[in-house]
Order: sequence, then structure tokens, then C-alpha cells
Amino acid sequence: MTLTHYPRLDEAAYVRRLDNGLTVIVSPKPGFSKKVAYFAANYGAIHTDFLLDGEDFHTPSGVAHYLEHKLFDLPGRDVSEEFAALGATVNAFTSYDMTAYYFSTTENFSACLEKLLSFVSTPYFTQETVAKEQGIIGQEIDMTADLPDAKSFEMLAEAMYAKHPLRVPILGTRDSIAEITPEMLTLCHRAFYAPSNMVLCVVGDVEPETVCRLAETVLGSAYRAPGTKQTDWREEMTCPASQAHASMEVAMPLFQLGFKAEPLGSGEEAIRQELLGDLAAEALFGESSPLYLQLYQEGVIDASFGGGFEALDGAALLVCSGDSWEPEKVRQAILQEARRLRAAGIPEKDFARMKRSALGRRIRDLDSFDSTCFRLCACFFSGFDYFRFPEMYQQITPQDVQTFLRRVVQPERCAMSVIFPIEQEDFQ
Amino acid sequence: MITLIQLQPGITLRCCQDSRFKQGLLSFQFLRPMQRQEAAANALLPAVLLRGSQEYPDLRAITLGLDALYGAGIGAAVRRVGDCQASGLSMTFLEDRFALPGEQVFAPMVDFFQSLLLHPLLQDGVFREDYVESEKRNLIAAMESRRNDKTVYAMDRLLQNMCRQDSYGIPRLGEPAQVREITPQSLTAHYQALLAESPVELLYVGACSPEQAAARLSPLAEALGSRSGQPPVQRPFQDAGGGQWQEAMEISQSRLCLAFATPVTLGHTLAVPMRLMNLVFGGGMMNKLFQNLREKMSLCYDISSAYHAGKGILTVTAGIDAQNAELARREILAQLEACCRGDISELELTGAKEAMCSSLRAAFDAPESMESYYFSAALSSMDMDVPEYTQAILAANIGQLSQAARTLRLHSEFLLKGEPK
Repeated sequence: MTLTHYPRLDEAAYVRRLDNGLTVIVSPKPGFSKKVAYFAANYGAIHTDFLLDGEDFHTPSGVAHYLEHKLFDLPGRDVSEEFAALGATVNAFTSYDMTAYYFSTTENFSACLEKLLSFVSTPYFTQETVAKEQGIIGQEIDMTADLPDAKSFEMLAEAMYAKHPLRVPILGTRDSIAEITPEMLTLCHRAFYAPSNMVLCVVGDVEPETVCRLAETVLGSAYRAPGTKQTDWREEMTCPASQAHASMEVAMPLFQLGFKAEPLGSGEEAIRQELLGDLAAEALFGESSPLYLQLYQEGVIDASFGGGFEALDGAALLVCSGDSWEPEKVRQAILQEARRLRAAGIPEKDFARMKRSALGRRIRDLDSFDSTCFRLCACFFSGFDYFRFPEMYQQITPQDVQTFLRRVVQPERCAMSVIFPIEQEDFQ
Repeated sequence: MITLIQLQPGITLRCCQDSRFKQGLLSFQFLRPMQRQEAAANALLPAVLLRGSQEYPDLRAITLGLDALYGAGIGAAVRRVGDCQASGLSMTFLEDRFALPGEQVFAPMVDFFQSLLLHPLLQDGVFREDYVESEKRNLIAAMESRRNDKTVYAMDRLLQNMCRQDSYGIPRLGEPAQVREITPQSLTAHYQALLAESPVELLYVGACSPEQAAARLSPLAEALGSRSGQPPVQRPFQDAGGGQWQEAMEISQSRLCLAFATPVTLGHTLAVPMRLMNLVFGGGMMNKLFQNLREKMSLCYDISSAYHAGKGILTVTAGIDAQNAELARREILAQLEACCRGDISELELTGAKEAMCSSLRAAFDAPESMESYYFSAALSSMDMDVPEYTQAILAANIGQLSQAARTLRLHSEFLLKGEPK
């Protein structure tokens, strides 16, 4: 395995690409009891259309999430129970562009890792088991429908994107998941759960070579090419709608506001743009920004307000959200502040302070094994080594942020969703 | 390992020296009785202190100060441990070794915190009216926004009804009506009373030795001075009688919440078996409620139980279709009955033990979880150190778990019934 040290971060990482195409990343943590392992596929909710063995496939929304659920269901076995017997917790999540299966344990690491690799790489789907999951995921859809933040983001994405499947909920709908068959799940597993389309990341006091050896033993050494995702969505940078609203059982209006940015691509430039986007968000409406102070003191926003830059396969956006009785005032204030910053620029001293703060927070965040695993996996799929982020911060200038704001924070790239309390539907 | 240092009578510093982490943590808490008449003031005070001090007069100055400390974080910490409400501030900061050569973080962080705590921005001798009124609005909004999360809301309503004569029925942040009554004058008087007389808990996790941490914090303790008050006494559950309550809302999924009462609380011989039983029943990875109500019967997406050890209350929460409420209720009781009968496999017992031991070990792998563990242990007067606690977990048997289950009696129920638009 290749060992790289990152002295600025007091971190190290072992990396190796196996014959079967799987990349293994191990970040050793001597002296810690906890070990976390992520086995992640470069496949998420938006990847419904793909090419495999020369054939085009179009699957309904919610398939990636459905598949994630079903992999825990093996004949005569209870995967969660098996991990629990080893003292470990196991879980998974599906995001727009990644599906990750992970465990956390302080004992029996090798046994847990074998189980993780084994159950994720073992597709088993029958009519009966697929049908049973309809009811469970149907209830998950209902539960999510009652979450104002989730509903708000769903509406925002629909308002901002005409073509990109970010506009479709990760869970799908009751109608779309009714179309899912065992054959469809098998197909998607074959397409995207090939080791060459996955990464195994471990953070903890482990032997890196042991991790590689177990991965080779369980997954074999045969290389298999994954399916090709259809990602040519050709999304315009303007928003189809500037506003969306609904009413729900909430205490006060809550909003989400987004500005469309160009998709990031991959590699070093992608991570640089992501960090730049974060700094731009901080300069525009972060807690140390003049705008935040003004809006907070006026009572237009409260401590629930926050935002940042989000990037995924084929899409990127500057986004902020919070509770407010005057969401439109927030939108106008942000647009006005962006105009001011474009004209006046950001003083070097202020920018240096912002970078210092952002760097410090990211270094502190490395204490979280889960967060570190997630970022290592996500950046790996973007073609970048996450632990190199200090170098990227050094490269970013105030002029970069000004250029970003000039391009992205424009009215035609903006949409807002608002959830109003039911008893205030008249305010819409 | 934790070191206890009495900085002044009534001001306790607990130190965990640990150089594995990239960040240090320091928390400061006034220990108050959980009482309706002061709960809201205790929740409001940290938020007002965080609006400005003489050296950092507004939010922006505070944030710029934190930015200069490599993005340190400081926030209000308002917690409940049984009958105690702890109110104060908690801060996390980069360890000195990651700062640029010649720079420090911990020392200026303590100075920064001391400024916010001891030199608040006053106008005519009281907190600024605009800061107080603004934070009152924010606090009320935070209280009312709990309604947005139906899982949280339904459990809040259950406990408020069940514990209407116990401090556990008082919301952690107090109630909107009490917030509205607070004035700059009353809040300032309350703040001065806390400064003068309230017991204080400080907890530090980081690379400094206990002696170094104590030296850095001694000026703060001297400025506060000694106090003779004792931490609030923990009392058993004050039972006002059970009941069944229901509320309707325009939501897709209903929430069923049940609460059971038990005489088994902290210090009881069955305290550890009760925790293990809770994991087997509904709190752990392969719990009976999940396996049966969700996996076998598809009655719910999420279901779980929680044991509130300080009060001897065990709660269950489930997301269900309203039409299945009675069926879900019967099955929850059936699974508890199974535990009472001792219908617990060795695999289930082993899993629960492994989960508790693993969780205990993992708690010492992050500053926040270490702080939380030691803080709760101190206030709940847990009379076992970690090796003793681990030993008690491993020694528990199925007979003890079923004995613990048999002490539970159904006390109260709450149904948040979803109704279509």
C-alpha cells in the first residue's frame, strides 16, 4: 500500500487499488478504540439511466435507495443482528450520488469487515422480499413527507432544476417504487456494485494490510467494469421557477434559498471550487459577515439560519435556509450584498481571517471518524485526496470569491421555497 | 482518566488530559434546580451573554474573535440531568499544536470566554433591551419549532402530560409564557444571583495537564468567588396518575408514544439490567420492537424505546398509520410481556452487552462524548467507575433482565393522529 503523511494535519493514509478494481483507503488512528468502515458505491439516487453491456436502461426513481434497503435482507440471516452480536452498529444511506454501507465497532473489527463486504456484494432479491419492502419504504416516504426541511428542499430542487434528477426525491414516490422488480435490483447491483465502482475506507487503529487482504478474500480478484451512468443532463443555469410554497404543520415559516452554480467536474479543480464555494457562502451570509449581523439584529433571521455550498454529480448550488417571517427580505438582502461585494471586493485581511477559520474548523472535524470516512469516500469519487485540502485553501484568492459571486449570485439563477404554517396560508 | 479539582468551594473542574484529539473542549455550567419559575431564564441567559460583551460588543465582533482563534466554536449549553437544569456555555477549539508557530489557542480562548461570562454588555446596569427582546423571540421560536419534528413533538406532549407534577414534565428550555415575562432587569438580577451563589461545573478535555488547565481557569474561579450552594437533589418520579391523550394534525404519518413507570432508577440493583433490557426490547440494533413491528408485521418504519434512568421511565415511540394504532399498541405490550417472561435469547443478551460495552469504549474516543459522559455521571451521582460499570454489564443475566421488565407498568399514552388535508 502507498503511505502518505500529512504533517499539517497530523494524519496519514494508506491507499491501494486492488486487482478487482476496488480502492482501499486506511487512515490509521493509533490509541483509539473505535473503528469505522465505509464501503461505498459511486451510485446514487440520480443515476436512474445508464448503459450496461451496450444496452440502455431507464429505472424508476427510488431504485438506489430501495437497493440499499434490500441488501440487508439475506435468506435466513439478519445482518443487523449479526453485527449486534459482535458489538457493532451497522447502517447505510443513499445520497443523490453515493450509497454507503458502514459499521462502527470497538471489537471484532475483522469479523465485522468481512460481514460488511460480504452482505453488500451479495445480491438476493425475490418477489416476496421486494414486495415486503414496499410497505416499509412507503412509510418512510410518509415520514419524510412530514419533515418540513425535507419538503422544503424537495420544492427548491424542483424550482431550480428542469432536467437534473436532483429535482426528484431520493426515496422516489409510492408510484415509482411500485415499479421496482427483483430483476431491476439485480441489474442495478450488477451495474454499480462492481468493486471497480466502489471504495472501502477505514478510520481506526487497524492493520492496513489486513483490510486489503480481507477485501481480496471476500470480493475476489476478478475485475468487472461497471455500467456507464448517463449524466448528460444539459441543465441551463437559469431556474424554471423563482419560487415555490406549501403549507404544513410548522410553528413559523421556513425557507430554503438557492443559487445555481456550474457543475464541478472532478479532480483538484473540483475540490478547489468546492472550498471556494464554501468561502463565498461565508463571505456573503456566514456568521461573521456584515449581512448576517444586520439580518439577525433586525430579527429577520435567527439562530436557525445557515448555509453553504453543495456539490454533487452534475449540479452545484449555493444554498441557505432558516426560519423567517420575511423570507423574501432575506433573498433581496443577499442579492444586494452580493452586488456590494462584487463592487467593493473582500479586503485581504478579512479573507485571510476567513480562510484561517475555515481551515481550523475542517481540521477539528477530522476528530469525527464518520465525517472523515464520508469525505474521503466522496472526494475519492471526485478524483481528489481529501487530506490535501490545506493546499487548496492556500490557492484561493479574494478575487476568486468575487468572480464566483459575480457569476452565481444573480436573480435569474435564484429560486426560493417557503413552507408556511397551515393557519397562515393567506400570507402566501 | 478524570481528575477533579476544587478551584473554589462550589466551583469544580473535571479534567481529562488527552492529546489524541485535534480539538479541545471546555464547558462551563451553572447547576440549577429544574423549576418552572426559572427554567426559561436559565435557557435565555447564555443566548444573551453570546450577544456581546464589553470587549466584543456584538455578534460580528464575537464571530471575528472566534475566527481569529482558528474557527473556534462557542455555544449555549442548556441541559437536563434528572431534576437538575445546567445552564452555561460550551466551547471547542483547535489544539495549540495545530496553530501557527508562536500562537496559542486555549489561553486566549479562556480569556475570550471570561469576557463573555463576566463582562456582559450592559446599559444602565442591565442587559441591553434589544438583545434581551431579540433572544426572547429566538428562544420562543426554538421552543415552538419542536412542533416541526413530529417525533420530538409527540414525545414532548407525552412527557408533559405524564410528568405534570414532576420536573421532568417541564420542557428543557422552559415555556413560552415564562419567556415573555422576562425583562432585562429580571434577567440581570437572575444572572447576578447565579454568579454569586450557584454551584458551577467546569469540564475540560484536551492536551493540557490538569494543573495547567486549573492554572488557566483559576483567575475565572477567583473572580467568581466561593459559593456554598449544593447541586440540586435528584428526586424520584412524582406520579400525578397516568392517562391517554390524543391530538390531531394534518400529517401523513401518526405517532404512537407509550410510557412505562418503574421504581428502578440510578443506584438500584437492577439499574444495569434495566438498561440492557431496554436495548433488547427497543433500544438496540436487533431489538424486539424493530424485528416484530417493523420487519415481520410492517406496521411502522421507525420504532424504538428509551430508558430515562433518573426518573424510572421507559418510553416507546413509533411512526404508524393511524388505523394500526391499536394493533401496534397490543404488539408493543406483547413484546414487553415476552421480556417479562424471560423470552430473551443468549444472542439478544450478548448483543445488548456488547452494544453497551462498545458504546462505553467509543465514548472516550471523542471530546464531546467524554464531556457528556462525565457531566452526566457527576450529576447523577453514578457510583461506579468505568471498569466497575463494565463488570456490572458483563455480569447481568436473563433472569435479571426479565426481573427488571416485570417492574414496568404502563402509565401513559399519547397518539398524534394524522388526518388528511
